[in-house]
Amino acid sequence: MADFSWEVRSPLDRALVAGSYGAQGDAGVSLTEIRNFDLVQVMARRGKAGEMAKAAQARFGIAAPETPKAVDIADATMIWSGPDQFLVLSKGGKHTIEALAPVFVGSASLSDQSHARALIGISGEKARAMLAKLSSIDLHPDVFGVGAAAATSMDHTSVTLWRGGDHDGQAVFNLLVFATFAESLWHTILDSAAEYGVTIGHSEELA
Amino acid sequence: MRIICPFCGERELGEFTYLGDAKPQRPAADAGEDAVYDYVYLRDNIAGVMSEHWYHGGGCRTWLKVTRNTLTHEISAVEPAAGAGAAKVGA
Amino acid sequence: MRGDQANRLNNGGLIDRSIALNFRFDGKTLFGFKGDTLASALVANGVKLVGRSFKYHRPRGILTAGSEEPNALVELRSGARREPNTKATTAELYEGLEAASQNRWPSLNFDVMSVNQLFAPIFVAGFYYKTFMWPAKFWEAIYEPAIRRAAGLGRAAQVSDPDHYDKVWAHCDVVIAGSGPAGLAAALAAARCGARVILCEEDFVLGGRLLADSGMIDGLPAAEWVARAVAELSAMPDVRIMTRTTLFGVYDGGTYGAIERVNDHLPTPPEHQVRQRLWRIVAKRCVVAAGAIERPIVFAGNDTPGVMMASAMRSYINRYAATPARRIALFTNNEDGWRTAETAIAAGLQVAAVIDARPDVSPAHRSLASKGGFPVLHGAVADVDGGKGGVRKISVSLTGGARAEVEADGLAVSGGWNPAVGLTSYHRGRPKWRDDIAAFVPDGAPPGMVAAGAANGSFGLGACLREGFEAGAAAARDAGRSGNAGSMPVADDEAFSITPLWHVAGKGKAFVDQQHDVTASDVELAQREGFQSVEHLKRYTTLGMATDQGKTSNVAGLAIMAAVSGKSIPETGTTIYRPPYVPVAIGAFAGHHRDENFHATRLTPSHHWAAEQGAIFIDTGLWKRAQWYPRTGEKDWLESVTREVKAVRGGVGFCDVSTLGKIDVHGPDAGAFLDRVYINAFSSLAVGKARYGLMLREDGIVYDDGTTSRLAEDHYFLTTTTAKAGLVMQHLEFCRQVLFPELDVQLTSVSDQWAQFSIAGPRTRDLLKEVVDPAEDLSNEGFPFMGAREVRLRGGLKARLFRISFSGEMAFEISVPARYGEAMARNLMIAGKPFGLTPYGTEALGVMRIEKGHVAGPELNGTTTAGDLGLGKMMSTKKDFIGRVMAGREALVAPNRQVVVGIKPTDKARRLRSGAHIIPKGETPGPDNDQGYVTSVCFSPVLDQWIGLGLVERGRERIGEIVRAHDPLRGEDYDVELCNSVFYDPDGGRQRG
Repeated sequence: MADFSWEVRSPLDRALVAGSYGAQGDAGVSLTEIRNFDLVQVMARRGKAGEMAKAAQARFGIAAPETPKAVDIADATMIWSGPDQFLVLSKGGKHTIEALAPVFVGSASLSDQSHARALIGISGEKARAMLAKLSSIDLHPDVFGVGAAAATSMDHTSVTLWRGGDHDGQAVFNLLVFATFAESLWHTILDSAAEYGVTIGHSEELA
Repeated sequence: MRIICPFCGERELGEFTYLGDAKPQRPAADAGEDAVYDYVYLRDNIAGVMSEHWYHGGGCRTWLKVTRNTLTHEISAVEPAAGAGAAKVGA
Repeated sequence: MRGDQANRLNNGGLIDRSIALNFRFDGKTLFGFKGDTLASALVANGVKLVGRSFKYHRPRGILTAGSEEPNALVELRSGARREPNTKATTAELYEGLEAASQNRWPSLNFDVMSVNQLFAPIFVAGFYYKTFMWPAKFWEAIYEPAIRRAAGLGRAAQVSDPDHYDKVWAHCDVVIAGSGPAGLAAALAAARCGARVILCEEDFVLGGRLLADSGMIDGLPAAEWVARAVAELSAMPDVRIMTRTTLFGVYDGGTYGAIERVNDHLPTPPEHQVRQRLWRIVAKRCVVAAGAIERPIVFAGNDTPGVMMASAMRSYINRYAATPARRIALFTNNEDGWRTAETAIAAGLQVAAVIDARPDVSPAHRSLASKGGFPVLHGAVADVDGGKGGVRKISVSLTGGARAEVEADGLAVSGGWNPAVGLTSYHRGRPKWRDDIAAFVPDGAPPGMVAAGAANGSFGLGACLREGFEAGAAAARDAGRSGNAGSMPVADDEAFSITPLWHVAGKGKAFVDQQHDVTASDVELAQREGFQSVEHLKRYTTLGMATDQGKTSNVAGLAIMAAVSGKSIPETGTTIYRPPYVPVAIGAFAGHHRDENFHATRLTPSHHWAAEQGAIFIDTGLWKRAQWYPRTGEKDWLESVTREVKAVRGGVGFCDVSTLGKIDVHGPDAGAFLDRVYINAFSSLAVGKARYGLMLREDGIVYDDGTTSRLAEDHYFLTTTTAKAGLVMQHLEFCRQVLFPELDVQLTSVSDQWAQFSIAGPRTRDLLKEVVDPAEDLSNEGFPFMGAREVRLRGGLKARLFRISFSGEMAFEISVPARYGEAMARNLMIAGKPFGLTPYGTEALGVMRIEKGHVAGPELNGTTTAGDLGLGKMMSTKKDFIGRVMAGREALVAPNRQVVVGIKPTDKARRLRSGAHIIPKGETPGPDNDQGYVTSVCFSPVLDQWIGLGLVERGRERIGEIVRAHDPLRGEDYDVELCNSVFYDPDGGRQRG
């Protein structure tokens, strides 16, 4: 009998080469793939947006976003993904679809997206300049502040983009991209960032 | 062209897909062939203000009813489809 | 410093004399300075002849100092970077620049084709339409190649562009086109109010006309004021100043296109940098401060090298310290032109004469003439004597009829100024005529846009500053900014008086459009031949259709048209203005999207594993899919594919089918919803079962198909074809949100969540027993055909198992979360070793589906009904569904429709080709006898011959009939037999077994 190992491979496992890329010197863009996370799509059932919100409040102790925002709690982030729906991004198996199913029974439909996306953190002095090549939305700090989120497209590919808490005084953008598009978009990101110099890494866990 | 999605805010045209005239209503199951024929094929080609279906597929995946002047591309109103999101019961 | 630039002034100019730059023009090494354009460096080196004209190969020089240049077009760079039709007037000089003149052979000085001038009478307006009419077959073989050799402009590089281009978005409150006095004042006002400002300047230095025409602003010399303004703007964080950037178009919703020539001023872009960048700027407001373009006067010999726009001459002298001529004559019809005489005198050059078409000249200019010792001739230039050596003698018709001659080596011309009305007119705007300045000015503008300064017809420096400042402040206010604009810069307004003069009648060629060699007589001829509308005039004569888009010629052309047709200029009107304002390289529009990045690529979860196995990949939409897995020794694809099919049919194989669209359909009304979108019922499907479903379009034509499983009461897992995945999602959302909002149903794409593999062949169950937890019952009873449920795999991983078959064999599809996809492939290979498990690609998949008569893309082709596909019985009569009513229309249920049928050549050795037409035996091929065509073909290893599916009239009633497969494209015609479309295991025992 064969001995099976179920090795997990991120969609960027091959494409991501840790280290530096592009122009030499101080890197203007820093890219970090986060590989281990749970992601659950929560969509309110017809007429049940209010009940879904209550259930989320009870579970997470904070209101789920009703507008394009991302809300951080200790062990999860709720990210708006459309009207009456949001994504729950978490680590450590606390908010898996199995764990959340009883919470939203009757009020929302849940879909596991943990393997459907790649998650990339983008920061650095030139992060906005690089993102402007990919994203048609306005990322000016006055417009897209900490906690702002968007369901949008990059390079004709649907993405979820949100601004996390600043790190070392610099904005951090988080990007969820569909897994089968991830390698392609990754190369586009590298092309776009090359002129600024890039630091590339990955992390198993959400920060 | 830019469309103000009622949920996402103003976005560029590339995020949207055009479908067409939003006026015709799908006939009831017993409406008969003529009514369905009209619904499927007979479309006004309006030079002026028109109500259109647009899909925000590159964003929140909501179907929108966009009131647009086909001569100037001026958009005067955008509203979500009746079943967008978790449409309120009875609303 | 290099001293041998013959026409370089010793002092002045915005050039850095400490940095000498070598360059080559037509193989000759010359040099200029940093800050030069190619044109100014050529001027400084005394080069007057820079090109040959389009039709007549006449010698041409430099006419302007900006992006409106019609003549001084060169091939810049060499090899893969060779760039034809580059304006010498905007090309920045760099060390090692290489440029070649165009349109001459063998050399610029001796050009064989200049004999065209002798045949000038045949090169008149409409020449192409009139001359090369017949015989038709001469066109491709003789006329076109000859014309292309003789006419045309530069030569494109024949190899792929090695440089990179990108595209970027920008957002702001106010975008400003132009950094002259109006643009800078607008930027200052808007930025001080707190607006986010983008200032685009196509030149590499800010300042606009202030770089060439000095003046005093706020009591400071203009250059100093510019420096202060730029310093103030640069210090503000929300101001982006972009030089080398042309705002070339305005699009709906306040979106503007701009092209930034990021590294055109360098021999090659630095590593990792782009050559050019396309900006899409979203701005709440736009101030067009793009200035005005000085226009020529049309007279005989006006294209002689050495004839130059008066303002351009000032630019060369003041900005570049380069003198286009030693002894300059000026021909003007307005006050502004006189500045060139002032400039020439200040630079120590001789003024030969000023020819002024106006009856009066101001006292100040009279005294300038007497001080400078040159005559003021009232009249007009009638002819220029010159040729390729440049201007020598100018004949003048004096007011009153007398003639005069002026000896000069340069002639500056000012026919007045045309505001740059492009941007303001791009939304079908029609500029309006202003008599006082004899020019068209903007009449309204696209929403959010306003013109200021010279672009608005306000030519005085004070007016430019005032209008720009006010426009900038208003734009910021309209964008919601409420800061204080501070104090407005102030300057005096110069007087501007003009007596319109467009065309001086005379002998010899008088050019309106120098780039396209359109003369005044061409315009007159076109009018006589009935081309009354300016749009027709433009297309018939090609006036204004060259790369300069008639910036120096359009208004003169329509003024001449107006004169000959006895109408006023406003009655004659302008042609429609369209972007781009300057030529934009296709590479910039493509940006990153070229070669392997032409579109985004999707990879299946087992892609890298398949690549390791040496799979050949095929592009299927955005996907890369494994097409087959060649093995050493196999001579071609057919051998590999045949092996794969046999391995499946005889043992077991597996294939990544993750590309199928997968959608979670949730909610209490999920079943009711699916009943409405599929022709068959799904609400009746039991939990744990799968069913094949067919969707129609509302017009009754088949849209898509796939299997959908019920995983829970309120949860279906729907699959679509690979090709339609996105469209079906969009369609279902339309059904949910627009058509059936009363249903409680939720849709989520889970295409990327699941890695899905088809495992097929008689030994499938043996293999699965090795993979699936032993506790799972995979027997026919425990997991019957069309069963679907979650199972646990060895090692504890949860998966979904579906007993569905596309190949006709006993088969399962197994889904695991995508990040386990590669592990799944590897584990299957390990577990399958004893059974000879063979990975197979899309070709083998296709062969097996054709053998089984399953329809796919070629049959679901947007013209077929469920009945055509042999699936008519699936249509429920108990419920309404999309397409039901229209599918019942007479023509869609007609008995003579072309329906899916099997096809095989009567000669077993013959290869069947898709696309072949089906013609009854004994009939002549032709539309009347065309009964359908072959849609899908394959070599069937089971039948050991080529087989196919086709859409054939009454096909199912004609099983056994021999017909002709007629393939005119490939020159083939052979007999085929119509047969049952299920070639293999027609009773389906194998898949149910």
